[in-house]
Amino acid sequence: MRHLLLSACLILCACVVEAQTRLSIKGRAVDTTSTALPFTTVMLLTPKDSALVSYARADENGRFELKNARRGTYLLKMSYTGYLPFQMEVMPAEGALTDLGDLKMKPISKELFEVVVKTAKAPLNIRGDTIEYNASSFKVPPGSTVEDLLRRLPGFQVEQDGSIRAQGQEVKRITVDGKNFFGGDPKAATKNLNAEAIDKVQVYTSKTEQAKATGIDDGKKEKTVNLALKEEFKKGGFGKIKAGIGTDERVDVRGNYNKFDDKRQFAVVGVGNNINQSTMAWDDRQDFYGSSSYRWDETDFGFGGGISSGDGGSDGVIIQGGNIIIMNGGGGSDRGFNNTYSGGVNYNFETKKRKFSSNYFYNQRRNWTNQLINRQSILADNAFETDSRSNEHSQNDNHKVQLRYEDNLDSLNTLIVLANGTINNSSYGQDLSQENRRSATQLTNRTTQDNGSSAQTLNFSGSALYRHKFKTKGKSFAASVTYILNNGDSDAEQRSLNQFYDPTTGAPLFSRQLSLLNANRNRQNQIRSSLSYVQPISKRVSWENFYNFGIRNDKVDRDVFNQLEGNVRNDSLSRYYTNQILHHRLGSGFRYNYKGTNIGVGFAAINMNISGKFSSDQNSPNVMEVNRSYTIVVPGVSFNMDLKNNRYVYAEYAGDVQQPSIRDLQPIIDYSNPLYITQGNPNLKPTVNHRAYAGLQYFNPSSFTRFFGGINYNYAVNQVVYNQTIDSLLVTRTRPANLSGGQNFGTYLNVGFPLKKNKANISFSTNVNFSRGYTLINDIENRTNNNSYNWGTNLELTPSEKFTFYGNANWSYSDVNYSINTTQNQNIWNQSYSGQMNVKLPWESYFNATFDYRIYKNDRFGLDQNIPILNLAVYKLLGKAKKSEVRLSAYDLFRRNLGITQGASGNYFTQTRVETITRYFMLSYTYNMRGVKANMRRNGGF
Amino acid sequence: MNQNLLMKKRLFVWLGWLLTMGAQAQDLEGTVTYERNTSYTKMVAKLPYLSQEEKDRAKMMWGNEEGDKQKMKLTFTPDQSLYTYIGEQGETDDGRWSWRQSEYVIQRDFEKGTLTELQEFAGKTYIIQDSLKTPKWKVLNQLKDIAGHICMKAETEDPVNNQKIIAWFADDIPVSTGPERMYGLPGVILELDYNDGVSVVTATKVEMKKVDAKELALPKLKGRKIKMADHDRIIKEHIKDSIEGRRNPYWGINLWN
Repeated sequence: MRHLLLSACLILCACVVEAQTRLSIKGRAVDTTSTALPFTTVMLLTPKDSALVSYARADENGRFELKNARRGTYLLKMSYTGYLPFQMEVMPAEGALTDLGDLKMKPISKELFEVVVKTAKAPLNIRGDTIEYNASSFKVPPGSTVEDLLRRLPGFQVEQDGSIRAQGQEVKRITVDGKNFFGGDPKAATKNLNAEAIDKVQVYTSKTEQAKATGIDDGKKEKTVNLALKEEFKKGGFGKIKAGIGTDERVDVRGNYNKFDDKRQFAVVGVGNNINQSTMAWDDRQDFYGSSSYRWDETDFGFGGGISSGDGGSDGVIIQGGNIIIMNGGGGSDRGFNNTYSGGVNYNFETKKRKFSSNYFYNQRRNWTNQLINRQSILADNAFETDSRSNEHSQNDNHKVQLRYEDNLDSLNTLIVLANGTINNSSYGQDLSQENRRSATQLTNRTTQDNGSSAQTLNFSGSALYRHKFKTKGKSFAASVTYILNNGDSDAEQRSLNQFYDPTTGAPLFSRQLSLLNANRNRQNQIRSSLSYVQPISKRVSWENFYNFGIRNDKVDRDVFNQLEGNVRNDSLSRYYTNQILHHRLGSGFRYNYKGTNIGVGFAAINMNISGKFSSDQNSPNVMEVNRSYTIVVPGVSFNMDLKNNRYVYAEYAGDVQQPSIRDLQPIIDYSNPLYITQGNPNLKPTVNHRAYAGLQYFNPSSFTRFFGGINYNYAVNQVVYNQTIDSLLVTRTRPANLSGGQNFGTYLNVGFPLKKNKANISFSTNVNFSRGYTLINDIENRTNNNSYNWGTNLELTPSEKFTFYGNANWSYSDVNYSINTTQNQNIWNQSYSGQMNVKLPWESYFNATFDYRIYKNDRFGLDQNIPILNLAVYKLLGKAKKSEVRLSAYDLFRRNLGITQGASGNYFTQTRVETITRYFMLSYTYNMRGVKANMRRNGGF
Repeated sequence: MNQNLLMKKRLFVWLGWLLTMGAQAQDLEGTVTYERNTSYTKMVAKLPYLSQEEKDRAKMMWGNEEGDKQKMKLTFTPDQSLYTYIGEQGETDDGRWSWRQSEYVIQRDFEKGTLTELQEFAGKTYIIQDSLKTPKWKVLNQLKDIAGHICMKAETEDPVNNQKIIAWFADDIPVSTGPERMYGLPGVILELDYNDGVSVVTATKVEMKKVDAKELALPKLKGRKIKMADHDRIIKEHIKDSIEGRRNPYWGINLWN
């Protein structure tokens, strides 16, 4: 009982204390004429940081009461639409109730409210006596000055003489980002600054300069306008330069400079080196092309693989007949020794409505390749070996221009125009000696060749692409037209001495000498057009249709002169031909699309007409004709499904059609290489490749566990295979023919997971591939089965910021079987172990080592090659901002880079050894305006 | 009684008081349609493991691209609110491609002071059930028009990552709710800005109308049940691990977590 009483007492006391520490604040919201402002929002904030303590709403008479607030000083804030927010500091009066009486709210000037808040939807900032607008909300034409902008701002007046008045008062001072502009002369600032550079216009009343200087407030106030600049206009340019010099006269110089803002992007890049780095690194490529790096416009609409040409596509020009292939762009692998010079300029201009990008790139590459090729060819009853030694030199000069313009005419219509052009000049020289042997000692023939050529090519392609979206969701139409021009002129000299030996006795039999001069003129033009129409059928299903049309005209004039016979024209090797390829492709299909499940089913019908005329000369009366017409229907099915928790399943089947190459269609024997005589086949049909694949992916973003797996299958119908006839003198004659049944089946699997999160990751991968290919060798069908098995593992160790290691091991085993000659069956073993180690040393120094160890084994040929390649580098970052780097690197420390490649295909096994860059040391200096980053760790993607 | 709870209680007192005010109160229900736009470049610019060069490169390449846009919907009454996607799938503007949206439903019951969230993050689906915890707001001196309503600016910090969140609330709709996980201001929040524009949620349409109880009902809940503290811990850990592993943490979680 006593306890109860005590408790009651305590509760009572607590209540009294509570009541004394609690406070009610009341008042009434009215306008300047004392009319009540009903339902005004009233907030109680802490004066220190404006934290919201409590809030209430006034009644219909504008009266409010905020009850039960903890005693203290508050900031009372009231808000009523159309009025400036009211703010006052509230000191609690004595007692539990503080009555603030009538609180008058000032209306926002109608002009300000209508224009700034309602029309421009600009935030209006009230900072004591400062009112601020967001200038970007006020639209002025491009190129306008700040003066033009100020004219549009409510409350501003610009007089005839350029003087400015804000809220009735003259503006004495204009600052830019708070700093005086041209001595503070307001006219200079407003007439010279571009309106586009301005983010905000702030108007405030400040003390006069004199008052600021003396510290004595003279009571005079002046209007000041501050122009806050947009973030991107504060940016300058950035770039980097690297220069390195090494032993063996190795040089590496590269630099790039970029400037960009939200509309314009400008970049220049320059590269010069002789360390076999002729292509731009991925990051440098992105820096150069900027926002157009990944822009890709599909001009041939439709699903499935479409039609490809057997002539190596439009990106390369193949000089017919000889062994010379010239590719555009100067890319390709860095074999042998290369001197590269390249440079380019890129400019992009983008707004929401229009996008323009343009670039020019020049590339010069000189290449020296000395290579040894050993080739084992398998015949039905035996095998023979070909040993070649070749010295090649080439030079390529390439100019490339790319233009792209996109105009989003309105929300439903888009037009894209593309133009690309390249000019390529090249020269090529080759010394080749080649021996064919029945066995290691039995020489059957020998050729020595001296070949040379020079070529000029011009390529142009221009496209226009139009897309229209209908108002009905999902309904769309697109049309494109493309013109392609490929012109090439070349002169080639082929000189060869061919000696033949008796296959049994080895005695010299006879020799043939050839000295040919080839003049080629190739003209190709092509027009392609494409239409697409999509019609939604239901919410989840749409009907997709496309039509492709293409017409291609080729004209090739090849004149061959026999230099040994006084430059007489050789009529059997010379030829003139024109041909036309016409194709139509029509497709239709249905797509089901719902919550990440995408299923497409359709078919495409292709009709192709090839008509060609061949003769030895323009004026020759003997004109051969090749006319072929094909119609092929291929189905296409695709399935994609986005499952819960980062799982993804996909499957696809499609048929690709490849048209036979013009070279393969010509019924002409080409013996310009007397050891390798080719002949065309006018009866070739297009190849249809049936491709199917399926797979699944899983990634857990939390545990970093991942899993990828899939299978793929390929079956070729009417594949073009080169049937070989090899005579007793080991002269090979090839003729293309169609053969069905070549196939490939493969699986892959990749599992990765952390051993210790962020410290150690491991992954395992395996892929198994079974392929089967056919050729006719001396009229006997040979089936080559190649079963290959690969295993790999990857280890990433990132235990600290000072040490990282990335390791990789791969084992592969191939079992190659030849049906015509099982004694030649081979087992090929390739192993590779590689590792990269990064160590952070004191004084901002770093150490980097990469090691690559490869083992090649082939029991059939007793091959067992071990190649270790070790590269080391130490580098130090300089300066406070780490903008410079000095690096000492050693490349191929063991001098073991032998440039070996090997592979089995068809009925042969080839091993190539290219002389290439080995050990050198290099000292380089890098300056990066944005700072150099030490590459200790690989990014996991962002 | 801790400060927070006390404040909350007080809030509800006010809320209750103004709800009994009559005429106006009965109309205080409806739906707000939002567009959530997340900028990839601005997100990348905040990743601490990238160099300035890498951030500039990303900005140059993707800076002019539109962000990831999603249409969201807030259904509210003075007692309850439910925030989720509009439509059952994500799709391109032309509707030809669709994708599954990760689970995201935020329901608040102001009467009971509870929240229920269905969310997919860090590779799993979770159900969060806990009591409501009001963010600590600062009210600032700025006005802006959003979807025809004059809004006032307020600021708070995201409780897990301590990033700045700016809210614009309309005091002419005096319901203390908002999109994502934000609420507790004297009016409905019509715009949210996470970390200087990385993600912006803006109201495009405000409709005041009678709300059907069905519109506030939760979907079938399937997932692991956790408390808000567990959620915060998982998110914190995920972000820490991802940044340590040089990965963008926001590929696995919602930015607004």
